[in-house]
Formats: sequence, structure tokens, C-alpha cells
Amino acid sequence: MKFHPEGSATERPLVSLVDDDESVRESLPDLLREFGFAARAFSSAEEFLVSDCIGQTGCLILDIAMPGMTGPELQQELKRRRQEIPIVFITAQRDETVRPRVLEQGAVECLFKPFSDTALLDALNTALRLN
Amino acid sequence: MEELPADEIKRLRRCNNDLVSVLALPAMWSGAEPSQIVHTFLDALLGMLGLDLVYVRLKDPIGDSPIETVRIAQSRKQMPQPQEVCDLFNRWFGDDPQKWPPLVRNPIGDGDISIVPARLGLHGEIGLLLAGSQRAEFPCQTERLLLSVAANQASIGLQEARLLSEQRRVAKELDQRVAQRTTELAQTNQELRREIADRRRAEEQLRRSEAFLTEGQKLSRIGNFSWLVPTDDIKWSEQLYRIFEFELGVPVTFELIGSRVHPEDLPLLYDMIGKAQRAVSSFEYEHRLLMPDHSVKYLHLIAHGSRDNQGRLEYIGAAQDVSQRRLSEEALAKARSELANVARVTSLGVLTASIAHEVNQPLSGIITNAGTCLRMLSADPPNVDGARETARRTIRDGNRASDVITRLRTLYSKKDLSPESMDLNEATREVTALSLSELQSKRVILRHELADDLPAVTGDRVQLQQVILNLLRNAADAMSAVDDRPRELLIRTECDEGDRVRLSVKDAGVGFAAQAADKLFEAFFTTKSDGMGIGLSISRFIIEAHHGRLWATANDGPGATFAFSIPCAARAWPTPKTRVNQADPLTGAA
Ligand SMILES: Nc1ncnc2c1ncn2[C@@H]1O[C@H](COP(=O)(O)OP(=O)(O)OP(=O)(O)O)[C@@H](O)[C@H]1O
Ligand SMILES: [Mg+2]
Repeated sequence: MKFHPEGSATERPLVSLVDDDESVRESLPDLLREFGFAARAFSSAEEFLVSDCIGQTGCLILDIAMPGMTGPELQQELKRRRQEIPIVFITAQRDETVRPRVLEQGAVECLFKPFSDTALLDALNTALRLN
Repeated sequence: MEELPADEIKRLRRCNNDLVSVLALPAMWSGAEPSQIVHTFLDALLGMLGLDLVYVRLKDPIGDSPIETVRIAQSRKQMPQPQEVCDLFNRWFGDDPQKWPPLVRNPIGDGDISIVPARLGLHGEIGLLLAGSQRAEFPCQTERLLLSVAANQASIGLQEARLLSEQRRVAKELDQRVAQRTTELAQTNQELRREIADRRRAEEQLRRSEAFLTEGQKLSRIGNFSWLVPTDDIKWSEQLYRIFEFELGVPVTFELIGSRVHPEDLPLLYDMIGKAQRAVSSFEYEHRLLMPDHSVKYLHLIAHGSRDNQGRLEYIGAAQDVSQRRLSEEALAKARSELANVARVTSLGVLTASIAHEVNQPLSGIITNAGTCLRMLSADPPNVDGARETARRTIRDGNRASDVITRLRTLYSKKDLSPESMDLNEATREVTALSLSELQSKRVILRHELADDLPAVTGDRVQLQQVILNLLRNAADAMSAVDDRPRELLIRTECDEGDRVRLSVKDAGVGFAAQAADKLFEAFFTTKSDGMGIGLSISRFIIEAHHGRLWATANDGPGATFAFSIPCAARAWPTPKTRVNQADPLTGAA
């Protein structure tokens, strides 16, 4: 028996993940499902934008540095489209200046990799309360 | 669904807990002294892995005697002297750790003990860790993984602690030098004060005798002047003639004054004349004099305006020769720049940051998987298949982290920095491979144009790679604000005339002003909020040690090109190698 029956997928909030790092796309969705969310992973901002997920996404976990469109650029693009999706940024770059910048632009949280699962869960709960 | 035996679940759960605690260690010791780090680290390992003993030997970066620490499980009644344990291990130090015997006589009990050695630092430059246990199955696969992740964590922590204490040392030294110069300045000041007091005394005497005034002025290097503006009638005291080194009594004109004023300070003289024409009430200047023997004097001058009985504007003032004070100020500035050399060590910081970034990526996977695994195991019923899959991934990511360390280790594997015959193209590729993720995250498009027929150069591989890394980082930084054109970075190698090779890094960044070209290479010159301003000065130092040249040119289009050119043939290096002796990169044959 699986912990979460497939049938209840529609009731669970959808968390979308955009990260160019394959190991994150592989590991994080499992953790998100353990948290009790539905999860979808995308390898680029462009891929997320053409998907049918934007409307249903309750929270977006977004990598900052990616080839092509970056995380903060996707944040701006969503704003332009008036898509009010709460965003939790994740980054491996320990650059303390990016955090205030993305928070100012309305992100819920910005976590430095490696982050703990509880820190992520806290951020997601905050994000989903916003909806 | 297949059920795992309860104790395998327990084991997985424990392994995960341990990993998470190992990864949490840096938070406990951030900012701590190396000795505190070692204690925390040893206690954690001992408890976590149920070891019988752990031993750490830290190389001392300054002195040469290593610092040794031993921890032994508390359950043991018999407490040996740390010295005994160390003596036992000392027999194998210096050998290849791979070749150490896995079992040694137990220094703290009967029978044998299994020993796992781990290097601290990329090539053991920080020290060595030994973990020992009497358990027959020690070390199992997860224990090995835990040890290697923990050793890496400790290495990064210790490296940072060292850097921190080195920075503190540099800062302290700077403080001391500044304090020393301040004392010197204070002394000069006191002398000046004494001179002024002397002058006061002299002024007292003035009332009695005009002759004493001259004496007093000489003492304090202060001269007086008066300047009747409408007629440009200027009168100087004897001392002012002496300061300007003009023959006593020659008529003073602005032309005469202008011939002594330092050409760069002439505008100040014109400014002063302008002020007088506007009849300002007073003025004050500090300017230089260029003497016939090319020495420079610093003059401090103050004047107040008043009207004479015919209502004409007249300035009465004093000018003091302040050269001595200025000289000690310059000495202070020089002491600062000497410190730039001391600060070379801080370039290690760049290295530590890049290691941290390379390792953070896989660590992130480890933590996420470990968290998932824990949750799957604590569900009711436990999701054992899922847990097994995530545990597999945890181990894979752990190996990925060690791969990164190994890769860095080969890049910085030289203990003694020494010249060798090397392929600059290959060295370049190694650096760019390591910088790739950093460059990509800055959206830099990197192109190589590496000459096929590039001859080998004799040089210190690690140092030259450090130069290339500095140039790449600077180029990427210069383009960080560029958004209206591609952030193109071209790294090129080519043969240069006179049996030299040239490497250039061309960017499309903000560039630099022509008059700043030489400033860029000065130590501590930086335009970045987070820059130290030492990258280029170290690089130039390294290239000059290779009998080469490092320079910057502005591009025709946007951006700048930084290039160095070094001779191929071994010149002043102790053991010259001929090119025929070069190892063939394909066969490895010499
Ligand atoms: N490619 C470049 N284009 C334009 N300016 C540059 C370039 N490289 C260096 N500079 C200028 O030269 C200065 C000094 O460079 P340098 O590498 O010595 O120090 P830094 O980059 O500021 O700090 P750090 O010592 O941490 O590297 C920089 O701050 C920048 O103003
Ligand atoms: Mg630099």
C-alpha cells in the first residue's frame, strides 16, 4: 500500500519545481509527496511556462541560476502574466545579496542548498497559506 | 510488498540520522577555533559510529610540529597515554594511506583493531583522521561514507578557521603597523608643537628684537608674507626666501613663484589669484614646490585679507614647510601597500568558496534524500521500497561529493609548488571545466580557441591555473551588469614571438578607462563591493616569477582583454627540461 492513494491527487495542493539540476528534480518531488503534496518537476523556466501546470500550481520551488531564463526572470514573467504563484527560491550560490533582492520582489523564502527538509516544509506552508 | 527486517530499517534510519547530524556539524563550529572544531568533530564521530578510538593529527600551518588529539570510548577502563597511541600510528605516517595495514595491534586493549585513515584537506595538507574500532564488520559501506563526508566537512571547517585566523593575523599586523606609524606621526606632531612653542617663545622675543624673528621662523620653517593686491606688491620674510630657495631680496613676482610651484599644482596658484580678485576674506592652500634638484616640498599656506589706510586690499599670511609631516604620511601609505603582500594568503578564500559551491550541490541531494527516507520509514506501514531507493540515491550523491573533492584534489595536488614542463591548454581546460557551473550561473558564454601546436611551457601548474582562474572570474564579474549584448568570454592560447606562449581572456564587459589601466594591478584596488582587489596583483606577481608579462588592453568593441605571455623554455628554473623529454599525453611515455 502506498502512503498516499493515487485517487486523492486532485485534493492535494500542487507544488511545481523548476531546477536544471537533475538530482534535485529526482529527489525533491519524492520529499514533496512525503510531505503530502502533489509534485511536478521541470528542467527549465521555458518548460514550465508552456506546461498546463501554471494555473494549478499552489507553490513554485524555483532554482535561481539556470541556463536560459533564470529564476528571477521567471518570477518577473509570471508577474507580467498576472500569475500570483507564491515562490520559494533555492540556490547553491552562497551569495547573500540575492536573498534580499528576490524577497523584495515578493518571493516567500530563499533557501541556500543544502537546506533541511523542515526549513523547506515551513516555507511551503507559509506559501500555501497565502493562497 | 516485501518487508525489510526490522533491524535493517533501524540501520537505514540510523545511517540517515547520522548523515543529517554530520551535515549539521558546520553549524555548530562556524567561527570556532580549530581546536574546538576538532573536539566537536571527534566527540560526534566517536558517538555516532560507536568507535573505540579516533585520532586526529593537524599539520600546523605556521610551525612544523603537528597537533595530535586522541579520543577513546568512555566505556574503556584502560586509558592509554595519547603518546602511546600516536607512537603506534606514527610508524605508518608518510606512507601512502592506501597501503596501511587494515588491522593493527590494539593500543587500548587486547587483540587487533580495524583502522580507517582519511585525509583532511584536498591533499592531506590539513592533516589526517584515523578511526578505529574492534568490531569485526567495521567499516561497513555506510560507515565509510559517513567518515568520508565527515572528513570533508571537517576539512572545510578547519580550512575556514585557518583562513579566519590568518585574516585576523593580517588585520592585527595592519593594526600594529598603523599604530606604529601613528606613534611616529604623533612624534612628528609633538616636534611640530615644540616648534610652535619655540615659535611662540620666538615671537615673545620678537617684541624685543626683530633679529630673533628670523631665527624663530627658521626654527618652525614658517615664513610670512604680505601681498598688496592692486599693485601686486609682494613682500616675503627671510624664511620664505629660504623655503623657496631664492636669493634673499630678489623682487617677488607671481612669475617667480610660479617657477617653483609644482607644475601639477599651478592651478591652485591661479585659483588663489582668482580668489584675491574676488576679495575673499581669507584663503588656505596646501601645495607642492618642485625644487631645482627635483626634490619636492609641501607648503601649507594661510592668509587673511585686510584694508590698508588707503582702503586697498592686502593679504597678510604665513606659509609653513610641512614636508616632514607629509613624508611620514607617505610612509604610512607605503606600509599599507607592503601588507598587500602579506594578504596574498587570502586568495585561499577563493578556493574555499569554489569547493563549498561544488560540494553544496550534491550535499543538497543527500539531505533531501535522507529526509525523504526517514519519512518513508516512519510511515505506517513503512514504505520500504521507497526508502531503499532513496538510500541508494543518498549513497550515490555522497560519492558524487567525494568525486568533486577528488577532482579538486588532482587540480591542486602539488604539495610543493614547483616548475614542471606542462601543457598550458590542458591546464586551461581543467580550470574552465571547474568554473563551468559558476560561469553558467552568471550566464557567461565561454568559448575556447586553444592553439593546436602550442609548445610546452615550464612553469608551476597550480600557480598558472590560479592566474587563469583570477582572469576568468574578473571577466565574468565585468559582464555581470551587461544585459544588452551576449556575455561572451573568449579564452585563447597562441604562440607568441620570441619562443613564448600567450594566453588571453577577452570579455564583453564594462571595460576600464585608459588612465586606470595601471591602477588595476595595484594591490587592494577594487571597484567591487565584495572584492579584495588582490586577484590581479597576485597574478602579475606569479607571471613575473615565470619571467613573463601580464597586461590589459581595451577591446575595439566593448570589454577588455587580459593577457599574459611567458617563455616556453626553462630559464632560471633549477632543473631545465628539454621538450623532447615531455611525456606523451596519450601513452604517458616519456
Ligand atoms: N576584465 C575586467 N574588465 C574590467 N575591469 C576589470 C577586469 N578585471 C579587473 N578589473 C578591474 O580591476 C580591479 C581589480 O581586479 P582584481 O582582480 O585585482 O581585484 P577584485 O576582482 O576587485 O577583487 P579580488 O581580489 O577579490 O579578485 C577590479 O575591481 C575591476 O575594477
Ligand atoms: Mg578579481
